[in-house]
Amino acid sequence: MTLVFSMAIASLFAAGAYLMLKRDLIRLIAGMIMIGNAANLFIMASALRRGRANILPANGDRLADPLVQAMVLTAIVISFATAALALVVVYRVYTSHLSVDISDISAAEEEQSELDEPRAEDMIETELEDEIEDLVESPLVEVPL
Amino acid sequence: MNTAMLLLLVAFAAPILALVAGAIQPRLAPSAAMLGVAATAAVVVWSFWQPDSSHKTTWASIYGMNVELTLDGLGRLYALLATGIGFFVVAYASRYIPLHLHHQQRPLSHQTRFYFFLLLFMAAMVGLVMAQDLILLFMFWDLTAIASFFLIGYDQQEEESRSAAMMALMVTGITAVLVLIGSIMLYTEYGTFSLPAIIESGEILGASDWALLLIAIGALAKSAQTPLHFWLPRAMAAPTPVSAYLHSAAMVAAGVFLIGRFYPLMKEIDWLLDIFLFVGFSSMLVGGIIALTRNVLKQILAYSTISQYGYVVFMFGMGGSYGIKGASFYVLAHAIVKSALFLTAGAVSEATGKKNLSDIGGLRRKMPMLAIGSGFAAAGLVALPLTIGFFKDEIFFARAVELGQPYMTMDVLGASLTFAYIFRFWTHVFLGREITEAKPISGWLVWPVFSLGIITILGGVWPEPFTKIAEGAASVTAYSAQHLDVHYTFDPIPENMMAVATWTLGLTIYLTRRKWWRLATGIAHLGEKIGPAHWYYKGLNGLNALSDSVHDYEVRDLRSRVVSILVPAGVLVAIAVVITPNANSFEIGSFEQQDFTLVIMLVAVVVSGFVVMLLRDHLRLAIGLSCVGYSLAGVWAFMGAPNVTLVAVVVETILSLFFIGMLVLMPSTILRFETQAEGDRRSMPRDAIIATIAGLLVFFVSWGALSRTSWNTEVIESQTVLTTAVHARNVVTAILADFRGFDTMGEITVIAITLIGIISLLRSGRLR
Repeated sequence: MTLVFSMAIASLFAAGAYLMLKRDLIRLIAGMIMIGNAANLFIMASALRRGRANILPANGDRLADPLVQAMVLTAIVISFATAALALVVVYRVYTSHLSVDISDISAAEEEQSELDEPRAEDMIETELEDEIEDLVESPLVEVPL
Repeated sequence: MNTAMLLLLVAFAAPILALVAGAIQPRLAPSAAMLGVAATAAVVVWSFWQPDSSHKTTWASIYGMNVELTLDGLGRLYALLATGIGFFVVAYASRYIPLHLHHQQRPLSHQTRFYFFLLLFMAAMVGLVMAQDLILLFMFWDLTAIASFFLIGYDQQEEESRSAAMMALMVTGITAVLVLIGSIMLYTEYGTFSLPAIIESGEILGASDWALLLIAIGALAKSAQTPLHFWLPRAMAAPTPVSAYLHSAAMVAAGVFLIGRFYPLMKEIDWLLDIFLFVGFSSMLVGGIIALTRNVLKQILAYSTISQYGYVVFMFGMGGSYGIKGASFYVLAHAIVKSALFLTAGAVSEATGKKNLSDIGGLRRKMPMLAIGSGFAAAGLVALPLTIGFFKDEIFFARAVELGQPYMTMDVLGASLTFAYIFRFWTHVFLGREITEAKPISGWLVWPVFSLGIITILGGVWPEPFTKIAEGAASVTAYSAQHLDVHYTFDPIPENMMAVATWTLGLTIYLTRRKWWRLATGIAHLGEKIGPAHWYYKGLNGLNALSDSVHDYEVRDLRSRVVSILVPAGVLVAIAVVITPNANSFEIGSFEQQDFTLVIMLVAVVVSGFVVMLLRDHLRLAIGLSCVGYSLAGVWAFMGAPNVTLVAVVVETILSLFFIGMLVLMPSTILRFETQAEGDRRSMPRDAIIATIAGLLVFFVSWGALSRTSWNTEVIESQTVLTTAVHARNVVTAILADFRGFDTMGEITVIAITLIGIISLLRSGRLR
């Protein structure tokens, strides 16, 4: 079963990774959810042993590892919350850019940054860069007599 | 409380005292600092009449780390240097720093910082020399590097000093990491961080010779030995008291201290001693030759320091009883005379406003006391009789005589270079005709120099206290009792002959300077052009360029941002997969009859996953995604996890509804772009390849990991037993609600916060 589990985890992960590479933000989230599923499957597969459901009394039956189940429960709920939040963020992106295409959004971002006046933090950054350049090119020790 | 602990507490109280006093009133900082240093120095001096004292507190016992301090002979010597020279330097600084700040139009309140970091350095040094635990040793070692960064960069508005501070931190900080790596390697070989225990075992185990090499590199970089010497001359950008303290008695001394500390182990490795010989001699030569050509006062002394510590390292390389005793005595004598010379340079520059040797001359009339004090110190450095320096060279020569002709030649060559540049330094400053005006300066800039000069002479006529101190240190370094006895003999013994040869040769070098000037400056220039400093700047530039290009790529858009994080992460995983020893570690695993249903569900998961990947329409995508989720819920069910199944079904239902709800909010024109997008179709093969590689990596990682699960199921049993104890029937619920209740609370909070976030994002959903 180890091999089967690993293959399933890897397939889910690969499908998720493929979706994340798309330009469509909604597919990106779908990929995120898939990779989350792969991670959950990995945690469940790492159980020290498999067996009957963890309801007591055991009556001598072999019980499944309860720790991984507890962990996966937490993971499922948290990944649900993040997925929901990400979906809403995509919706916000749509309302402000009228698109859910990454390339449109980055184009709009570039346009915006060109329109903006150089802001204070940029100024600081360029100053810092100058400073580093100066630092690197600082003069060598004095010429002797 | 024992002496070691008392000393540590007093030493670390000093910087805090200076800081508090300075915060109340900046004028109080120097007095508070002087008080702190004097108290620490008093404890050190008192400790000479006390037996060695140790203190041991358990720190992190599972890693075998202890706060283990021992104040032994070696520790006393370096603690005395750090506090004794520190006292003179602080006294000098009490007048120098206000003037310095005045010149730079900075407020007097800036001086608090100076004293704080100077005393912090002193305290770190005191801790370093007592530390016996390797990790503790490293911490103090790093603390000295941090304090030195702030001291060297004290003139923060000057670009030169900022760059010098950064360079010193880079060189000594990066090599400090080597010390840590070496320490951990020693731990893995010996199973303890305790240095005395390691030394006691008396043998070099496994790869610990490489560990000692790493530690030696850290030490040599700190002592500014070639080829890592270039930070020291640039660090002269610091105010003079800093240079006098760090580069005569403290920071550079820490390097040779470390060698002394590890010497009982290092002396067993012949090739390491050969490295010491080579590095020491090349530092002697490089430092000596460049010092001859420098014009700035402090630069001469900086290169001189490189060369003088080259002597010490050379002596460690020569080894033997005389070599070890000589190294200890040399450090002591050198610290006294060199700090005096640094302070002289500062006083002279303060009086004349000039920094270059060529602009200064004939100051003996204006500053007679300074001339005498620094004259004594200079005489000490060039090893004239009746000074402490005579004996330092005497022992140095004695070891060379034991080893034979080539060593004697090298010794005389190095020592005569010292004679030449110090002779040049002192005679140009104080003799000859007066070139510049010299305004009167405060006596506080003179008496520390004069006192140090007197100590130099005192050591020459009554060397016993100094030899006793060196003996104590040498006994620790040699790991056997050492006896050092020095006296003047008027017979033509080889040592005396070598001393005379040194003076003659040194004077000859000085007098014939017109002949070799071009050659020496040529060598110095060549060093600047192709030397290590050049490579340092090249490396720094390269790193900057790399960081810039990564940054430029990273900020382009979301995808490149993700790529620039995930690709290196993936590469690291791939490297881990490749280098992990994998022989026989992949298991196919057991397969029972009831697993068949599980496999069917897994197939359903995978198939629906691939279908989602290929779907075009967004609504179908959402439905496919919920197919994956429900199939997974089936998997959980067949794995004996009813709780998880229940939650998964609920969550999947809500998420699917939510997903579809979000799609409803967006018009179909927006959602249908994907199938038409030209770029996306083109990038399909590329995406597929990347996804396949990622999948393969995950496959190997998870297969490898799942094949190695522990067979110890003790935890499961104990959880089961505990569940009955909390009157529960369901183990998983008991874990979530009872054993990890607080964690679950946190999880609920996360959900609540996310919900608030979602609501606020949806409510302000107006178009811009």
